[in-house]
Amino acid sequence: MADDAAAQLYQAFVSQDPAGAIAVVEASRHSGLEQAQLFDQLFAPAMSLLGGAWASGAIDEVTFTQAAVVAEQITSFVTPPAASKDTGVTVLIGSMHRDYHSIGKDVIGAALKEAGHRVVDLGVDVRPAEFLERVEETGSRLLIVAAEMTATARSVVRVREMLTSAGHEDVVMLVTGGPFAADVSLAKQVGANGVVRGVESSLKIVQKIVRDRLGGGT
Amino acid sequence: MPTRKGSKDRRVQRASKPATSTPKPKPAPAKRSEGPVAAEAAPAQPGKAPRRNPMFPIGVNYYPLDAETQGWDDWYSGDANADFERLAEARMSLVRVFVSWKVLEPQVGQYDEDAIERLQDVIDAARTHKLQVIVCFFCDDRLAEMLDVPWGKKRDPRTDSYLIQREVALIQKVVNRFRAETAIFAWDLANEAFCSGFSAAEELESWIETMREAVREVDPERPVIVSIDPETLFRHTGVDPRDAIDTCEFAVSHATAAYRVFAAEGPITSGPSTYLDSFLLRSAARDLPVLLDDVGVFSLDFSPAEEAVFVRNVLYSGLMNRAAGIVARRFRDLDTERREPYFRDPFEVLVGLADTEGEPKPALSELESFARVAARIDLRRYGLAQERTAVLIPAERYEPLPSLAGLYDPRACLQAFVQAKQAHIPVAVAREIDEFDRYSVLIVPSALSLADETWERAKAFVQAGGSLLCSYGGGDTHPAIREVFGIEFLGDGGGREELSCRVAQVDVLGSLASFDARIDIPNFALLGHGGATVVATDAKGSPLLTMNQFGQGRAVYIAAPLERAISQGDPWAAPPAVTEMIRTVYAAVASASGCGAPVECDHPEVELALFAGEQDDILVLLNHGIEKITATLAFDRTVASISDVRGGKPTAVAGVTFGVPLDANGAAALRLSYG
Amino acid sequence: MAERSQQLALAEGLARQGQVQPAVEACYQALRLDESEALTHCLLADLMLTGDFYDEAISSAARAIEMDPSCSPAYLALGLAYDRRGGMWDQSILVWHELAEVEPDLVTAHVQLGEAFSAAAFDDEAIEAWRRALELDPAEARAMYNLAVAALKKEGMATALPGFRKAGELDPSQDDLFFSLAGICDDGNPAPDPAEVAPERQARLDAAGALAFEEDFFSAAELIRLILDENPEDPEALGLVAYLYLKQEAVNEAMACALRALSISTRTPTAVYCLGVAFSKRPGLSRNATRVFAALAKAVPKQPMPHVLYAESLLGLQRYAHAQQAYRTAIALDPTCVRARFGLAAVLMTEGRFAEAQWEIRRAAYYDTRRQGLFWRLYDVYAEGRA
Repeated sequence: MADDAAAQLYQAFVSQDPAGAIAVVEASRHSGLEQAQLFDQLFAPAMSLLGGAWASGAIDEVTFTQAAVVAEQITSFVTPPAASKDTGVTVLIGSMHRDYHSIGKDVIGAALKEAGHRVVDLGVDVRPAEFLERVEETGSRLLIVAAEMTATARSVVRVREMLTSAGHEDVVMLVTGGPFAADVSLAKQVGANGVVRGVESSLKIVQKIVRDRLGGGT
Repeated sequence: MPTRKGSKDRRVQRASKPATSTPKPKPAPAKRSEGPVAAEAAPAQPGKAPRRNPMFPIGVNYYPLDAETQGWDDWYSGDANADFERLAEARMSLVRVFVSWKVLEPQVGQYDEDAIERLQDVIDAARTHKLQVIVCFFCDDRLAEMLDVPWGKKRDPRTDSYLIQREVALIQKVVNRFRAETAIFAWDLANEAFCSGFSAAEELESWIETMREAVREVDPERPVIVSIDPETLFRHTGVDPRDAIDTCEFAVSHATAAYRVFAAEGPITSGPSTYLDSFLLRSAARDLPVLLDDVGVFSLDFSPAEEAVFVRNVLYSGLMNRAAGIVARRFRDLDTERREPYFRDPFEVLVGLADTEGEPKPALSELESFARVAARIDLRRYGLAQERTAVLIPAERYEPLPSLAGLYDPRACLQAFVQAKQAHIPVAVAREIDEFDRYSVLIVPSALSLADETWERAKAFVQAGGSLLCSYGGGDTHPAIREVFGIEFLGDGGGREELSCRVAQVDVLGSLASFDARIDIPNFALLGHGGATVVATDAKGSPLLTMNQFGQGRAVYIAAPLERAISQGDPWAAPPAVTEMIRTVYAAVASASGCGAPVECDHPEVELALFAGEQDDILVLLNHGIEKITATLAFDRTVASISDVRGGKPTAVAGVTFGVPLDANGAAALRLSYG
Repeated sequence: MAERSQQLALAEGLARQGQVQPAVEACYQALRLDESEALTHCLLADLMLTGDFYDEAISSAARAIEMDPSCSPAYLALGLAYDRRGGMWDQSILVWHELAEVEPDLVTAHVQLGEAFSAAAFDDEAIEAWRRALELDPAEARAMYNLAVAALKKEGMATALPGFRKAGELDPSQDDLFFSLAGICDDGNPAPDPAEVAPERQARLDAAGALAFEEDFFSAAELIRLILDENPEDPEALGLVAYLYLKQEAVNEAMACALRALSISTRTPTAVYCLGVAFSKRPGLSRNATRVFAALAKAVPKQPMPHVLYAESLLGLQRYAHAQQAYRTAIALDPTCVRARFGLAAVLMTEGRFAEAQWEIRRAAYYDTRRQGLFWRLYDVYAEGRA
C-alpha cells in the first residue's frame, strides 16, 4: 500500500504534477497514515525512487530538477510543523522589580513559546502589582518570576503576597535566576511553587504542572 | 592553629634553609589571657553543640568603605554592630579591619583622636559580638586612599626613610592604644596590594623587620603577620617574600585574580581551578600554620549561585588541607558606579558575602553551613595523618625570563597536585631546598632541571627507601638520572601531537591501559635501556614509563612532560586516558610506599580527608565535579556505622564499603565508627 | 645592524617552528642588541600568548606598540591577551578598535571588537561590529556564530539555531568531515583534468572527490555521471553527488540521491551525512536529523563534527542536556572546534551559566585566530611594509 503510494507520488513528481502529489498524500492520510509517518513512509521512499531514476538515466537532469521543485512544493504536507502545537497554556514571565537582567528570562520565554505555550513576556523591572494585573487580565494561572540578584530575589515574596491578598492562591508561581539556583530554601521563603533552572528545566516543570495541577490548560 | 598564643601546630620544623639565608630568632609564643575565641576552646559541654571551632577560626575582611560614592574620610563611619551581629550569627569569630594612615595622621605627628575612637568603636562592636580582630596597618583597597597621606609628597612609603619612621610611629601609636584590648587577635603589618610595590626582597624583609620591631617594642606577645601569599606575590612582582614571612607567627595564603588567570584559567566551579586554593595553601605552608585568606570570588562576572559553590569549595578545601583558619574576602559587595565595562585589578576586593544592602548572599549561607560542620570537628581529638607524598616545586621556578621555567613550573606542579588529589593521595607541596626526609614519595613534574646538589640529595633519598617520580621536562638531562632511574638518555625526540601508550608490564605500576590520545606533547625523551623495567612504551616501542629499583627505594620515570602538557593545553579537556595514566602511576607509587589513599573512592573528582581520632574517625568529602554522584568508598576495616558530624542518627554499615551521595560541588562530613 | 637582524631572524625562525624556549631566549638576545625593535617585542608577545602567559604577553605587546603604534601584529597579540585574561574589557575594546583602524580590512579585528563589546554588555555595538565583519567577508563564520548567540540572548534558541547552521556551513570544518568520510585528503596536488581520468570506477570517484574538494562541482558531477551510467546502484557515487547538490543548495536533489544511496547500502557514511544536512535544513525535520546524526556519530565516534551536528539537531528538539553532552564529546575530541565551543556556549546560556559560556567563546576566539595563522600574516605584512 505504502509502496504503491510512494510510486504514485514519485510519478506525480516526474510528471510535474503538484496537485497529483497532494492527492497522493491526502489519500495516504485517509488510509490511516499518521502525519508523523508521512515523511518516512511516503515522501522518503518516493524521493529514493526519484534518486534511483536519475541515477539510472530513466529521467534526465532537467526532469530531476523539476521533480525536485514539485517535491519542494508539497514538503509542507509531509513534514511535521516546525512550531509545536498550541498547548492552550498561558505563561506569564517577567523579571522582578528593580531587576534589569533579561537574558535568562528571554531564553526561557522563547523556549516555552517554541514548545507551544502562550507566553506573555512582561519584560524587566516588573512591579508586583503589574504581575497581579496581568494575571487577572489574562486569566493565566502560571507565572515565572526571574531575579538574578539576591535582593530582588527576596522581594519576589511580594508577588506571592499580592496574589494571595487578591484571592489568587491557586496561581502557580515559579522562580528562576542565580539566587534561587543557589539556595532552594529561598524559593520556599518567597512562596514559590518551584525553581526553574534554565530552559530544559522550564519545559519539564511547566509540562508537569500543566498535567498535574492545571488539568491541561489555563 | 593561629591562636593568640601563636602557633601550636608547628608539626615539623623545616630542617634546612637555603644556604644563603640566616636563621632569624623566632618570637616567643604569646602568653595572654584567654579571649572569647580561646574561651570557646574549652571542650563543649555534653549534648551542646559548639557554635564555632576554636581551633579553626572563620572570619571576614571588614573594609572601611562600602560604596564608590563614599570619600576616604568616610573610613568606618558607619555603625558596625549590625554587620557584626550577622557575622556572629553566621558563626564567625574573626574580622580583619584596616587602618587608614591618611585618616589617623592627617598632619605629620598629629593623630586624629576622633578617628582612633572610630577604630575603638569597631573593636568594641567586635568584642560585643565575640569577634576577634586582626588589625591591618598598611593596606591598599584601591578606594579608601588609606596610604595616601597628603604630607607624604608622593614618596614611596615602602622605602622612604622618613615615611618609614612615621609608619613606625603610627604602629606604636595604635598598638599602644589597643595593646590591652582583649578583642585584638593579631597585628597585620600590610596587605599584598601594598607589598606588591616592593621591588626587592631585601627591601621587603627590612621593612617587615622594622615594623615588626615597632610592634614588639609595645606589644611583645600578640602574633604579627603580613598578609602576603609567597607564590602570588612572587608571580606579580618577582620579589620572593619567603624569608620575610618566616619572621611572622603565621603565614597567609590566597589566590589573587591575576594568579588564578595565570595558573588555572577557566570555570571556577570545576576542574583545576577548584584545586588552586589548596595548592597555594600547601605551597605557603612551610613550618608556619597558614591562614587561608581572601576566600571568595574576585569579580562581578559570576552569579550568586556560582559564588556560593566557589566559596563552599574553597572552605572545605581549606579544612581538608590544613588551613589554620579562614578569612573571607569581603563582608559586603562594594556598591560600584553603574559603569561598563568593568575593569578587574589583581587584588580585587569588590565581591562580598552580602549584597550592597547588607542582605546575605548564598555565599554567606555556605559559610555558615560550613562553620556548623567545622565546629563539630574537634581538631584536638581528630587530625590528618602526616602527608608523605609531596609535589616538588623546583628552584628554577624562581628564575626570571627568558627562562620559561618560572612560568611553566607552577602550572605543571598544580596539575601534578590535582592528579595526586584525584588519586586520593594525601599530598603536600615541597620546595627543592626543603629536606626530603619527611616524605616517602617525591613527585617532580616536568621540571627542566634541578640543582646538582638536589640530585645528590634525591639519590640519597631513593637509596634510603624513598620513591622518586619524575617526568622528563625537555632538553638535556642530569647524569644522575642514568644511575637513579636506570635509563640511558639518548636525546630529545621533540614534540608530538599524539601520545600513545602500550603497556608492556601489566600491574607493575597499577592497572594501566594502553591508549592513543590526542595531546600536544612538547618533548619526548628517547630512552635506551639501562636496567630499569620498561612498564610502558609509545606505539613504536620507545619507553614511556620505566621503573627502577635503586638502593632501598624506587624511581619511576615518565618520558614526556605530561603534567606540563596538560596545563599548557586545555586542562579541562585533557584526554581522560592521559590523566588516568598519571593518576594510576602516582597512586601505585604512593601505595607501594605505604602512603596511598587512606580510603579508596571510585570517583577521582571527590577529594577526601580522613581526620583520625582514637575511637572513631571523621571523613570529609568534597565533590569537585558539577555532576551529582554517589561516591563508593572502600575501607580496609569494617565500618560499623556512619553519621553526619552535625548530628543525627548513625546509619549502620557493617561492611568495608558504602556509598555517599554527593550533590554537584557538594560536600559531606561523616563520623565513622568501626566494628 | 646585521647582527641585530640576524638575531631577530633567528628568533622568528624558532618561533615559527614552535620552539618556544629557544625563541624566547633569542628574543631576549635580540633585545639586548636593540631594545627598541617593535618586531622583537611583538614576537615575544605572541610567544607568551602561545604559552597562555597573559601578563607577560600584555607587557611585551604594549612595549611593541609603544615603539611603533602601527605595529598591527602587536595589537592582535595585545587584544587576544586582554580577552583571554578576562575582566579588562575596556582595554580590550580600545585595542581592537585601534587594530580595526590600523588594518581596516582585517575582519577578525571587527569580530574581536564585537566580542569585547559583548563581554562588556554593549550588545548593540557588538552586533554592529559583527555585521561590519560580515560586510567585509560574508563567509566570516565566527561573526555569524556570535550573531546567533546574540539572537539567542534576545529571542531564544529557535531564532539562533538557523544562525548556527548557517555559520556552520561557512565553517570549513563541516566540509572537512565530508571529505574525511569520503576518504579524500588534501595531498597538495591539484585535482586531475577530468578528460585525463582513467575510465575506471575508482579513478573516476577519486578524481570527482578531488574536483569537489576544489569546488569544481560541474566537472565532478560529469565524472559521477559516467560512473552511474555503468552502475546506477553505486552508493558511494550517489553519496558524493548528494554532496555536490547540497553545495549548490539543491536540497531535494541531494535528499533524493542520499536516500537512494542508503536504500542500496545503509553503510554509506557520505550519504548519511548528506541526508542529515538536508534534513537539518528543514525545521520540521529536526527529529529525522537527530536520528541520522546519531547514527553518524555512532558510525564515526572519533570524529568531532558528527557530534556537533548531532548536538545541533538536539537543539532543534529542545533537548539541551543531551546537546551539551554531545558538544562536550566533540570538544574532548577536538578542543579547537570553534563550532562546538559556540554551541556549548549557547547551551550553557540556556542554563543561566553565562560566565562559563563567555569562557567558551573566548576559547573559540583563541583557536580560531590560531587556525587562521593570523599573527604571522600580520607580522609578515608589517615586516615587509617596514622593509
